[in-house]
Amino acid sequence: MRIQRVATVVRRAAPALLAMALPTLSHARAEDPISDFEANCMSCHTIGGGRLTGPDLKDVSQRKDRAWLARFIVEPATVIDSGDAYALKLRNEARGVVMPAIAGMTLDRAKALLELIEAESALEKSKFAGIQMSDRPFTEDDVRLGREIFLGTQPLKNGGAACVSCHSVSGIGVLAGGGLGPELSDVYGRLNGRKGLGTWLAAPATTTMQSIFAPHPLDGDKEILPLLAYFSDIAQDPPESSQAATLIFILLGLSGTAAALMIFDLMWKGRFTGVRKALVAASSDGVEAKQQ
Amino acid sequence: MELSSGFLNYLDVFLFGALPYLSLTIFLIVTIQRYRQDTFTYSTLSSQFLENRQHFWAMVPFHYGLLTVLAGHIVAFAIPRAILAWNGVPIRLYVLEVSALICGLLTAVGLVMALIRRSKDTRVRGVTTASDWVLFAMLLFQVSTGVLIAVFVGWGSSWFAAAVSPYLWSLVKFQPDWAFIVGLPLLAKLHIVSAFLMIAFFPFTRLVHVLVIPNQYLWRRAQMVRWYGFRGSR
Repeated sequence: MRIQRVATVVRRAAPALLAMALPTLSHARAEDPISDFEANCMSCHTIGGGRLTGPDLKDVSQRKDRAWLARFIVEPATVIDSGDAYALKLRNEARGVVMPAIAGMTLDRAKALLELIEAESALEKSKFAGIQMSDRPFTEDDVRLGREIFLGTQPLKNGGAACVSCHSVSGIGVLAGGGLGPELSDVYGRLNGRKGLGTWLAAPATTTMQSIFAPHPLDGDKEILPLLAYFSDIAQDPPESSQAATLIFILLGLSGTAAALMIFDLMWKGRFTGVRKALVAASSDGVEAKQQ
Repeated sequence: MELSSGFLNYLDVFLFGALPYLSLTIFLIVTIQRYRQDTFTYSTLSSQFLENRQHFWAMVPFHYGLLTVLAGHIVAFAIPRAILAWNGVPIRLYVLEVSALICGLLTAVGLVMALIRRSKDTRVRGVTTASDWVLFAMLLFQVSTGVLIAVFVGWGSSWFAAAVSPYLWSLVKFQPDWAFIVGLPLLAKLHIVSAFLMIAFFPFTRLVHVLVIPNQYLWRRAQMVRWYGFRGSR
């Protein structure tokens, strides 16, 4: 009886709880197509600015019908796995990179995005034509500054965390860089060089990078450009394995632990060790002696 | 495919948007209620009298290690900018990370010693409750994921300051933003979820002793303990 009553309450409350949770799910990132495009598309696509990791989306709806495009935006992997010829062609053009599924993407959101892309395609110059950054050749100074920015010795102007916090590259010292994000030695080629990587850094596409750098964006000419110079410079070196760095880190930790244990032993040199046992024995002897 | 990713979305919302509040609520209500109802259970019930040799190797490394690591988490939560500034010089970052790893390993050594002592020594095992064993399991999980993160998902001191601290502040402001967390590696997510679970379980365990630390132990004079029934002197 009582269980039934509880069950009824839960059943009645469940839709209300769900309704409360749902708006927070899509996380205020999708309320309008412009911010949706900025958050989820811009790091790989331009509208009229040429190819990045993904194709230039100018006039995309003239190349393929809208129903197909909307479905592809919602579930890219499924369309590719179905063996669709056009999807496979896109994948080949992107050198095998598959468009990631965007969390919470719906057909309605995809249609709103397609409308935005159509409207922007009609403009002479879309605001999504790619970031405006100097295209002067990289200098030695750029590479040096880029390395300092990567390591954090040159702090980021807007207070973002240095790359080394989460990423490693070849040739930055015994203990290398962080392991949270991917290794970046070959990132310059992987994200299609200067333009692709530059756009990515201006509008990162992973949730973690997005949430860390949205409030602390990188500066185009002063920070992204030197970083690009640095990444293009190290792309020429052979990649280094980070296993040695991990091993050194573990060994440092273990020897430090052993040293700390020895220090504890010394610090409490005068602690009770065998004394209490003897006391207990003597004490019970005494009690026994009394009883006899 | 779509269904499972939808389910994972909800799971993330629950684990990183709801669970922290659920845990804190349980923590507050039960902690207060237990203090009012069973005041004198607010103790860790020392077993040092029952076994005193292994006790040293369990308790000393465990407490010094854990308190340092915990303090590190709290500092990185409170003043993340300062941590990032400190880590701005690679050698300082490495010193901080190696020290943190050492303290994590000390905690692990102490915990394993405590587990061995509790299960081997008959008298100590006799005063060990079910909640103690559950707590051991939780601590073991928490400490081992922590050490694994330190080794394989570096550099935690920096990315805690950059990603986890803003997430925790979003919880404090009652505007949970789990976007910081959902993309983290599984190890880090497990460590965070298990921390929330431990906060919820806290008031049901001997951990309550941390709320009633007899601070005067730090400065009061040493006490002489005499044994009743012991005659004569040596």
